[in-house]
Amino acid sequence: MTTIPAEYGLVLASVLFMLGLISLLIRRNIVFMLISVEIMLNAAGLAFIVAGAKWSQPDGQVMFLFILTMAAAEVSVGLALILQIYHQLKTLNSDEASKMKG
Amino acid sequence: MSKQDLLSIMPLFILTSAAILILFSISIKRNHKVIFGITIFSLLADFIFLSVVKTPVSWIVEPLFVFDGFGKFNLGLLLLTALSLAMLSYAYFEQREERKEEYYILLILATLGACTLTISKHFISLFLGLEILSVSLYSMIAYLRKRERSDEGGIKYLIIAACSSAFLLFGMALIYYVTGSMEFASIGVYLSALHELPIIMIAGFGFLIVGIGFKLGIVPFHMWTADVYEGAPLPVTSFLATVSKGGVVALLVRFYTQVNGHQHDSIVGTFTVLVIASMFVGNFLALQQQNVKRLLAYSSISHLGYILVAFIAGGQLGLEAVSFYLVAYFITTVGAFGILTYLSDKDRDAELLVDFKGLFWRRPWTATSFSAMLLSLAGIPLTAGFVGKFYIVAAGVSSSTWLLVTMLIVNSAIGLFYYIRIIAIMCEKEHIEVQTQVELTPSIYLISGFSVAVLTIALLWVGVFPDELIALIQSMLNP
Repeated sequence: MTTIPAEYGLVLASVLFMLGLISLLIRRNIVFMLISVEIMLNAAGLAFIVAGAKWSQPDGQVMFLFILTMAAAEVSVGLALILQIYHQLKTLNSDEASKMKG
Repeated sequence: MSKQDLLSIMPLFILTSAAILILFSISIKRNHKVIFGITIFSLLADFIFLSVVKTPVSWIVEPLFVFDGFGKFNLGLLLLTALSLAMLSYAYFEQREERKEEYYILLILATLGACTLTISKHFISLFLGLEILSVSLYSMIAYLRKRERSDEGGIKYLIIAACSSAFLLFGMALIYYVTGSMEFASIGVYLSALHELPIIMIAGFGFLIVGIGFKLGIVPFHMWTADVYEGAPLPVTSFLATVSKGGVVALLVRFYTQVNGHQHDSIVGTFTVLVIASMFVGNFLALQQQNVKRLLAYSSISHLGYILVAFIAGGQLGLEAVSFYLVAYFITTVGAFGILTYLSDKDRDAELLVDFKGLFWRRPWTATSFSAMLLSLAGIPLTAGFVGKFYIVAAGVSSSTWLLVTMLIVNSAIGLFYYIRIIAIMCEKEHIEVQTQVELTPSIYLISGFSVAVLTIALLWVGVFPDELIALIQSMLNP
């Protein structure tokens, strides 16, 4: 059985990361922006697992567990904020919700 | 885990247990005074523990933490800053209608995150510290739910901070992929064997700089700063400007020295460009602001640039200059925001330039200490800010980074203009229509007044007699 080279995994992770970044930049709905950030975080997690597998160390997977936990905490705060924003402004469009111009 | 390990990470333990204690005491009974008391007591106890208990000069808790003089100094500094911020928060939140007790849990947890950053020597502790800090900050920024702008500030910070965390993590993953280690020191060992950085490594450092740059708010990653500063409640704004940035600066310094960043021209060059851009963009945008919160936000961008000048200069003197400037900047920024807190009323923060019109005639003492803060930010002699800038210039000259030093001096001159403008507005005589405006301050502001007075005295003390602080920093950094 042939093993898959580690570079392939890294390329996959980079593609996933770029997809997340592009979608974060072009999406205007706050929920979708949150999803894009999650994709980026998971891409980073995948890169850690690939790197851990390359050195055959458990550290990469440990890091992935931390990333997963942190992403969950982040989403819970994010969704609460989104609910609040929808409650106040009746919109989820980030351009309409943005009152401060910086 | 040995006894010494346990003793070393005790400061973090104290903060954690304080947060849990507050959680329990809220579940029994909500009492703002009691919660405030616990917060102050635990932060103070933590600081006293840190300064009294004798620990070895440098102690490493494998594999995550290192307790050396630099780490301990910054730990103490962050704890004191958090303490003064908590004191300023009391009156501010007492006036607001909403539930105010949970704010202190978040404040303590965010401080815990920043403290973890200052002593970490491993990617995992770096990541954990940064996330404890950021997740607490999301909710702190959006804490006053009834305000229109606070949710917006919160969600903006959340999206940007999460995106920058993703960048940071991806950078770490790339570095781990190449070096096979997540410890700063072993990455440094790996790098010192190389003459040229491999391409994946360069990409990794690039991602890392993007991530750290977002957290520090340096140009071109500064877009969020002004909006978030404006939307957040005032004590949280000053927390963002001081504790959160201070923790990241300490981390950056440690990482940079351990991986020997000076040896790699690409890294030094990148930082030089970022620093010069931060100083100029921060100052020029600050010139155009009518809102004092936004003005201070942009000025904090340029101050971060000044700090990083010393950081690029490097060496022992550079390290001392960074520590000294952090102290001066913290005292000044907390003081300036403290005075804004002091002037705010129930409905809104005192943040427009109009609010300060004729302040010298209405409240001479407040106006005087605010002017002292502004002059220190501008770097006028006899204030802490001047000595700090002098120290940075000395560090820059000794390592002959002439370009950066020249830029710093040019920018100090630009910065002077908008600080002086606020003072000029405070001196203007009031017109009749401004006098009809409601007087902004009720009487529960005693604690805030006290802390602002202490900060002003500290500012002048450090400015006039800087020797003691310099001696302290030197004894901490080179034992």
